[in-house]
Order: sequence, then structure tokens, then C-alpha cells
Amino acid sequence: MSSIIELKKVCKSFGNTEVLHNVDLSIQEGEVVVIIGPSGSGKSTLLRCINCLEMITSGELIVDDIRIPAEQGRIRQIRLEVGMVFQQFNLFPHMTALENVAFGPRKARKMSKAEATDIARNLLDKVGLAEFENKLPGQLSGGQQQRVAIARALAVSPKVLLFDEPTSALDPEMIGEVLDVMKSIAKDSGMTMVVVTHEMGFAAQVGNRLIFMDDGRIVEEGKPGEVMKNPHSERLKDFLGHVKHH
Amino acid sequence: MDFEFSVIVESIPALLAGAKLTWIITVLGISGGMVFGILAGLGRIAGTESLGEKPHGIFMPISSLIRYISSGYVETVRGTPIIVQAMFLYFAFPMLVKAVTDIERFRIEALTAAVITIILNAGAYIAEIVRGSVVSVNKGLLEAGMSLGISRFQLIVHVIGPIAFRRMIPPLGNQFIISLKDTSLFIVIGVGELTRQGQEIMASNFRALEIWLAVAVMYLIMTTVLAMSLRHLERRMKIF
Ligand SMILES: Nc1ncnc2c1ncn2[C@@H]1O[C@H](COP(=O)(O)OP(=O)(O)OP(=O)(O)O)[C@@H](O)[C@H]1O
Ligand SMILES: [Mg+2]
Repeated sequence: MSSIIELKKVCKSFGNTEVLHNVDLSIQEGEVVVIIGPSGSGKSTLLRCINCLEMITSGELIVDDIRIPAEQGRIRQIRLEVGMVFQQFNLFPHMTALENVAFGPRKARKMSKAEATDIARNLLDKVGLAEFENKLPGQLSGGQQQRVAIARALAVSPKVLLFDEPTSALDPEMIGEVLDVMKSIAKDSGMTMVVVTHEMGFAAQVGNRLIFMDDGRIVEEGKPGEVMKNPHSERLKDFLGHVKHH
Repeated sequence: MDFEFSVIVESIPALLAGAKLTWIITVLGISGGMVFGILAGLGRIAGTESLGEKPHGIFMPISSLIRYISSGYVETVRGTPIIVQAMFLYFAFPMLVKAVTDIERFRIEALTAAVITIILNAGAYIAEIVRGSVVSVNKGLLEAGMSLGISRFQLIVHVIGPIAFRRMIPPLGNQFIISLKDTSLFIVIGVGELTRQGQEIMASNFRALEIWLAVAVMYLIMTTVLAMSLRHLERRMKIF
């Protein structure tokens, strides 16, 4: 098995504060990795480094056979293969749902408008929003916006999707619809997924591996069920105790 | 107090000629000012995260230089009165040219000096409007676009640009009106714009009330046209 994402002794500092310390991580194609950990533990930073939104300070990072740091053209190549879904959706507010999804294929994959629109329609249908294609983001609920954002990320046909707390900004009744879409992507397409979330049910059901981060380090990892049942470190026990009570 | 309406009627052709000149200076001035403003406004944030990623290699000193030049321009214009700028361009600049080159008969037409002054002046204020609007666009949108593999240029054109432009309209309207009224200062370099026309008629018939009333109404009409067209544009773009 070849790993599609490979981190060796990766460190990341902002100014003088190091927020990732010697992170080693190897993710195989088709794997669904769930990352949990307390606030400030570096989960977002880790995802952002993988997608080159942040530059690592030291160590080795190889994404889809491209070693980072790399020049701008290769970084765009990486981003085409590694999509990202954000906590705050970040849909383009002046574009309809359909335009949001078609924008990537059109500008990044250089497709014709007709081709891109076709892809976008299919994906909106897949996330259950076919009849909302002409709505602007401001006219959609949080859950619907996040589903459009997932369709948008899928539209450039990446090999990997990164999710940074995709349901944390949602009202409880909308979390399910977004998780369902994510589950179906994992099941149907065999997409490699790295998901930062506190939805332990999702982790147990879909995750191949669960990673617990604390203070910029990977503290524990393993099969989700086992890690949740037998946490070794006090910090993870503590953390799981907190998450369950939500 | 006697108010002679006929005085206004008689002065209308001359005032209209002045208003026409005012309008021409304003339109040319703010059009050029938009070009300068967009360049300097983007220049002031060149190489910062507001326009995507921080530059690497040789682009770093280049973007710093662009930032310094843009800031120097904006601060110089904002820090000096427009009337001094006009005087400088019209009276002092040709002398400066003569002193440093051999061109003996260098002259700037008063009208040209007026237009250039508005271009430079409006450009500096528009630069601040452009900068403010671009910086206010949610950085997450740029990140979302970049994470799709879309180039920074495309994102500036299709995402940041339209969103920022929509936010610029109200303050731009304000600046356009200020620039239009600023043209009245060109009375000091002898441009026959509306205020100067009023002044000349007044000097010959001493009908201050009628003339200045007519002049004020003409300014009001022009500023209203400007304000209304921007309001119209704003409404058309108010879709998100
Ligand atoms: N751009 C930045 N500049 C400076 N410090 C930053 C920056 N981004 C993150 N940090 C710091 O890095 C640390 C890790 O942040 P990060 O956002 O990765 O944590 P997280 O695990 O995603 O937390 P949360 O659950 O709250 O999202 C925090 O201490 C944060 O303050
Ligand atoms: Mg985070």
C-alpha cells in the first residue's frame, strides 16, 4: 500500500510558539482517519499544513508524491488532489449553489461551462440539494450550506478530502444530514478522508483509524472502537469523558 | 430684499457652460481616480494575506517596494490640501520641469491641471476605500478557493473583486460627490467651472443671492445624479 500523505517529524511554529511537535503520520489511500483532541491541540493546523494553507517549519511532508515545500505550481497540483471542508463553510456568497460547485471544475480543472455545470448538478443531487441549485448561500440553512461545500470540494475530483470540524458550527438537528453525506462519500467512493470532529459515533462507524492529539502531538492512535474502549493516557480518558457528556 | 428671477434666467447659459466643465472635470477625474485608486489600493496590500499567500523569493522585496510606493502616494495626497496640490501642479510643476530639464516652454493647461489634480486626489482616497473593502472580505473564501486549486489571480477576479466592489459602492459614492465639489476650488487656477462662472457674473451684476442660489442648485442637481446612479448600481448588486 502506498501512503498518500506522509509526515515525518513535522514541526510547525507561529512566531516563537511551536504548535506541532515532531508529528509522524502516514495515511494510506482509501483510509478514513478521524482526529480528535482538545481545543488548541493543533488539529486545524495539521490539516492546513497538509493542504499547504500553512507551511511546515521543519520535518518532511509528502502529499501525493509531492514533497513540500514546493513551488507554487506544484502546490496548486496538491490542492487539486486534496480538498478541504471548513467549519464555517466558506461558500462564495455571491454565487448560487450551482455556481459555487461549478467554479472549481471551471477554473481549476479548466472545463467548459457545460461540463462543469453537469458535474455540479450531479454532485448537488448526490448531497440531496438538487432543487436548491439556484439559491444563494445566504438563503440556505447551515446544514445545506455545508452540503454544498462538500459538493464543491468533491467537484474537482480530489483524491483526499480534509474536514475541519464540519459539523461544529451547525445546529444539532442539522448535524445528521451532513454526517450522512460524509458517510456515503466514505462508503461509495473509497475516498481518502481526514476528519477532525468530535462526533464519536461517526468515528466509530466510518473511521479506520482514530488519532488523539494533544498539545501539538499525536498521543494515541488505533482502531476507533479500541481506542475509545481502552484509552491508555489520562488525557484521552479525560477528553472522552468530556465528549460523551455532550 | 428684492429677488429678481430674471437675473437667474439671464445667467443660465453661462452657468450651464460652467456646470458642463465641472461635470467634465469630475467624470475624467474620478475615472482616472478609479484606475489610480485600484492600483494604489491593491498596491498597499500587495504581498499580504489579504490577496492570498505571502510571496516568496524575489517577490518579497518587489511587493514591499510596491507597498511603499503606494503608501507614499496615498499619504502625500491625504496629507496636503487639494488647493495646494492644484497650485503646485499649475504654477510650481512647470517651473520645476524648466529647472531640471531644458524644456523652456513647458506649460500645463489649467483644465489639464484640474483633471490631474482630481485624478491624483480622488485616487488616493479611493485607494483607501479599495484597500478597506478588500481587507474586509472573509479570508476563508480565499482559502476555500485556494484549496480547490484555483489560482490567486482567478480568485481575486471572481471572488474577492466582486465582493469587495459591492462593499465599495457607498464610500465611492461619497468620494465622487466630494470630488465633484472639490472642482470648485479650481477657481484659483482660473478654470471656468461653475463656481468661477458664478463669481464672474456676480462681479458684473452684484446679484449675490440669485447667482449663488442658482449655482448651489446646479451643484445639488449634479451631486444628486451621482448619488442616484450609485444607489441604482448598489441596488442592482444587492443580491447577497
Ligand atoms: N495563524 C496563527 N497564528 C498564531 N497562532 C496560531 C495560528 N493558528 C493557530 N495558532 C495557534 O496554534 C495552536 C493550535 O491551533 P489549532 O487551530 O490548530 O487548534 P485546534 O486543535 O484546531 O483547536 P480547535 O479545536 O479550537 O479548532 C493554538 O494555540 C492556536 O492559538
Ligand atoms: Mg480547529
